[in-house]
Amino acid sequence: MIIECRDLKKTYTADGQTVRAVDNVNLSVARGDFVIILGHSGSGKTTLLSMIGGLTTPDSGEVLVNGIENWHQSDARLTEMRNQTIGFIFQFASLIPTLTALENILLPLSFGNRKAATRREARDILAQVGLKDRENAFPAQLSGGQQRRIAIARAFINEPAIILADEPTGDLDEDTEQEILSVFHEYHRQGTTFIVVTHNVHLAESQENPRILHMRKGVLSERNPARSQAA
Amino acid sequence: MRTLARQINILDYALSSLWRRRLKNASVLVVFTAVIFLVASFQMVTDALTGTAQEVLVNAPQITLQRMSAGRQVNIPLAYAGKLGAIYGISNIVPRVWGYYFDELTGANLTIMGLDTSRMPMGDQLRLTLAEGTFPAAGSRGSVVLGQAVRDMVRARGSQLLSLFRNDLSMASYQVAGVFSRATDILTRDLVVMSIADARDLFRIPPGQATDLCIYVANPTEIGTIARKIADLLPDTRVVTRPQILKTYRVVFGWRSGFGSICLLTALTAFVILAWDKASGLSLEEKREIAILKVLGWQTADILAVRFWESLLVSGLAFLLGVTLAYVHVVFLDGVLFRPVMVGWSVIFPPFHLAPAMNAQVFFLIFCLSVLPYLAATVIPAWHTATVRADSALSGA
Ligand SMILES: Nc1ncnc2c1ncn2[C@@H]1O[C@H](COP(=O)(O)OP(=O)(O)OP(=O)(O)O)[C@@H](O)[C@H]1O
Ligand SMILES: [Mg+2]
Repeated sequence: MIIECRDLKKTYTADGQTVRAVDNVNLSVARGDFVIILGHSGSGKTTLLSMIGGLTTPDSGEVLVNGIENWHQSDARLTEMRNQTIGFIFQFASLIPTLTALENILLPLSFGNRKAATRREARDILAQVGLKDRENAFPAQLSGGQQRRIAIARAFINEPAIILADEPTGDLDEDTEQEILSVFHEYHRQGTTFIVVTHNVHLAESQENPRILHMRKGVLSERNPARSQAA
Repeated sequence: MRTLARQINILDYALSSLWRRRLKNASVLVVFTAVIFLVASFQMVTDALTGTAQEVLVNAPQITLQRMSAGRQVNIPLAYAGKLGAIYGISNIVPRVWGYYFDELTGANLTIMGLDTSRMPMGDQLRLTLAEGTFPAAGSRGSVVLGQAVRDMVRARGSQLLSLFRNDLSMASYQVAGVFSRATDILTRDLVVMSIADARDLFRIPPGQATDLCIYVANPTEIGTIARKIADLLPDTRVVTRPQILKTYRVVFGWRSGFGSICLLTALTAFVILAWDKASGLSLEEKREIAILKVLGWQTADILAVRFWESLLVSGLAFLLGVTLAYVHVVFLDGVLFRPVMVGWSVIFPPFHLAPAMNAQVFFLIFCLSVLPYLAATVIPAWHTATVRADSALSGA
């Protein structure tokens, strides 16, 4: 299993109200799985992704990525794991406004690892998301959908084993959406593991053999009874 | 190799990051450069002044004896020297004739100094103060040594000779034997040194008299005692000692530079506080950027390294610029900007050239007071990055 969540819990307290954002989630994801998580707004999807990526500390339970528990390692190690193993596609705008499209894409490359070759790779990825001629544009000069595509390209630059995507097709038109989904499909075919939070029905149809999970008030359940979510 | 490549890449990123915020960084650079320029210039002017003054005064006589009458200085009879023979510890008494000469043509005021170099203990070392030529041999007549300004005056007239008028309007001309170096400008710029006989001739002072007597003492610790004995013995004289003169210099310089330093330190402190204020609070925008970088797997150390290089580049460049400008200002422009502060002196001294004082200690001090606090003020608050939560980047806020 490339990802294992065990009895994962996270509650938030705001204005005296306690919200069970993630409530006792167990999830095993095998290498090469394409996991789709559906659910209403506020059901805890982003919080779950955040804990899997080692960004939010759970109240209890554990997350193992490649067999290593996220919070049993040093902060530096956890950060390194995130950098090397995970590509994160944010739900909201996440480009750095003072950097060009290409510079944004190059950000996840560690400083020890910036070669001319990686610039070429970055341009290739930019071409894959259909923005070949916009590498020197600043985020403010790009449409919302274009910005999102830059952010998607950035998630792939380190060739991570896992992609955590939070509403990746949120503001894309159907054609562009199709382009992105075929990029996902291509990477998935090559063995990349995906966990994608979406409302998009096309997404499930576009991928081969996806696992579809439902999140409701912090509780996760698997829709396809043939495949169990339990570890 | 890998760490070197890493640092180069961080530097590269820092540079482009500086460039992206070039307007803001340029303004910091300008203010910073100006502050360092002021502090460095001021320090260099002070050092140059004190250095020059002390150097020149080392050769001054330990005791100067002048005769006073009705509160004014009058010529002193050489016979007074004989009366001092009884005082133990005096090694040498040398008469000196000097006075001011107003040059009607140029409106310049010259100081004429007649020396008997053969009798001065350090007489043979006077040539060390010359930029060119030699000191006239003791006893020779008709040749002079000039300060820079006087030499320029002579040159401007297209002449080889310095011509002066006696009181009776008869003219005396002198060969230029040597020129004082610029390093001694503070005391020599308007100076004409000639033999004591020539000076007597110019000022019409009778052979048995001098302007003052220079008294050299074998043991410097006895200067005070001997000065008191002389004053007792010759009540109509004024006795000035070298320690007294040095003290006056120090007091004046000390006060001026102390005052100036306090003003400038205040400016510097204000700047550092400003930098701190600017740097300590991370703006929302910066926080968001840091959070995004963390999600993408940037180590806190990387974020700090970028910050460090950014501040080092800005403050280092400002330091180099400021110090270079200060050097140009002091050495090539003679510290024009500080004239009004430093040179109430112009009453005593004519415009002078400053000998450059390149004091590594001073630069180090300025470095410690400017670059280091700036680095601290920008890098230490950057530790806040450690407290920026990466998951804050996930929410839309
Ligand atoms: N930092 C936080 N502080 C307090 N409450 C939070 C915080 N983050 C999330 N929550 C709460 O936790 C619950 C789950 O939030 P989460 O963002 O995971 O939902 P989501 O499923 O991603 O919703 P959406 O589809 O709208 O993005 C919500 O009720 C939200 O208000
Ligand atoms: Mg969400």
